[in-house]
Amino acid sequence: MSSDTQRLLHDVRNPLNNISVNAELGKLTLERTGDVDKASAIFERILQECRRCDTVLTELRDHMSTGQEAASENRGDNH
Amino acid sequence: MAQILLVDDDLGFLDATTELLELLQHKVVAASTVADAQAKAAGRSFDHVILDLIMPDGSGLHVLDSIKNRDQTQVTLVTGHPSVKSIVKDLYGPNISYLIKPIDLAQLQSLFEDDDDVGEVDTALHFGHLVGESAPMQKLYQMIERVSQTKANVLLMGESGVGKEVVASAIHTATKPKGGFVPANCGAFARDLISSELFGHEKGAFTGATHRKAGVFELAHEGTLFLDEITEMPIDQQPNLLRVLETHKITRLGATSAVDIDCRVVSATNRTEVEIAEQGCLREDLYFRLAVFPIHIPPLRQRTDDIPLLIEYFLQAFNRQYKASIKLDPKDLARLQAYDWPGNVRELRHAIHRAFIMADPETQLLVLPDDLSSPFSKVGDNKGVGITVGKTVEDVERELIESTLEHLDGDKKKAAEMLGVSLKTLYNRLNSYSEQ
Repeated sequence: MSSDTQRLLHDVRNPLNNISVNAELGKLTLERTGDVDKASAIFERILQECRRCDTVLTELRDHMSTGQEAASENRGDNH
Repeated sequence: MAQILLVDDDLGFLDATTELLELLQHKVVAASTVADAQAKAAGRSFDHVILDLIMPDGSGLHVLDSIKNRDQTQVTLVTGHPSVKSIVKDLYGPNISYLIKPIDLAQLQSLFEDDDDVGEVDTALHFGHLVGESAPMQKLYQMIERVSQTKANVLLMGESGVGKEVVASAIHTATKPKGGFVPANCGAFARDLISSELFGHEKGAFTGATHRKAGVFELAHEGTLFLDEITEMPIDQQPNLLRVLETHKITRLGATSAVDIDCRVVSATNRTEVEIAEQGCLREDLYFRLAVFPIHIPPLRQRTDDIPLLIEYFLQAFNRQYKASIKLDPKDLARLQAYDWPGNVRELRHAIHRAFIMADPETQLLVLPDDLSSPFSKVGDNKGVGITVGKTVEDVERELIESTLEHLDGDKKKAAEMLGVSLKTLYNRLNSYSEQ
């Protein structure tokens, strides 16, 4: 696995982590305070983090497909 | 409720986790860089530190050096991969927990489970440092509260071991200054380096000054400088200190210009005001600059009600440190409260630590020594008192009465009881001494 791929895999964990923490926060906010406005703002954060996740995953896909092309070209050269 | 320091450069995570922990009734200080965390943590104590290991401005572990009660702090690293565990364990020992991303509520709560076990008896710390609910301590808290609203210099007086540095830290915490808490011991400075230690020096200021060095005043800028054993400072050096206190400016040795200094000076001595005046160990003008607000810290024997709380506090710390659950046999408490602790809280802590090491593994109870008194207290008690050939019976009696009174802090009723005489007899004797 290339170092860029490793970095992207690492990067995807951060928004995923924020989704998890915010989901717990939203749940607890509704359970303990019933503050709907606050919960709504937290859901907005979760959606933002989902978009961040999507961006990283797209980058990862692009990176892996160009990586595979490069790899197959390399194999072609060896023949 | 735990005091938590949370350090992570991902602001989304930092904000959400702070709110989550606050909803769980914890107190959170959040920081997004190592420098920010170091500034916020300086001189403070935390129950938990939750850290991102790799921060843009350095390793999160650097933050730990700034924390006051490092050995009582539970450290948790936030990591994306469990493999970090094995690497960090070698670096920082086994006493460290992990939060593996993605983090959920169960993971977070598991960090505080140990605390919840002892949560009901968790000792309340006043100003983040002080333990005790007795009347003398309440008075002390009130004074700390009042002085924290001002910039006045404080002189702490109290016997050895009463916790002068702890009170100084409490004043610092109560003041919530921007700068840090810088402790320095005037008795420990090499005589010819005192000026350099206090005020710093420029490179080449004297032989051996290979680097420019900041003095303790500069380090404590916008914070608190704690000068312990102030009365041990050589009298010929005291005018330099006086000048800084008057002008709020320091000049590093070898420097041509002065630097403005804004810090509270908390100094401490185990001598009484009378001793300071009589022995001439502190210049009068310096005394008035340092003791704008003098605070007397009560000896432990005047607040024996706090002994159970203190024992509980020390036991919690040792149990946390050694991952044990040793308890005090309630039968031993009376003995610990009856002893007069001449070495004060420091001696109590030492006794509990020793009893903790000696604890019975089967009963999980502390094992106290047969004789609580320390060798130092015995030496101290006999100083100046004793029977030598040639003394008159009256002299010996007078010494006995006076040292008994001193020991009981002037409580005549208790002294009469202890000496086996009536209160009236005691008064008669004391009157006859004052006539002599």
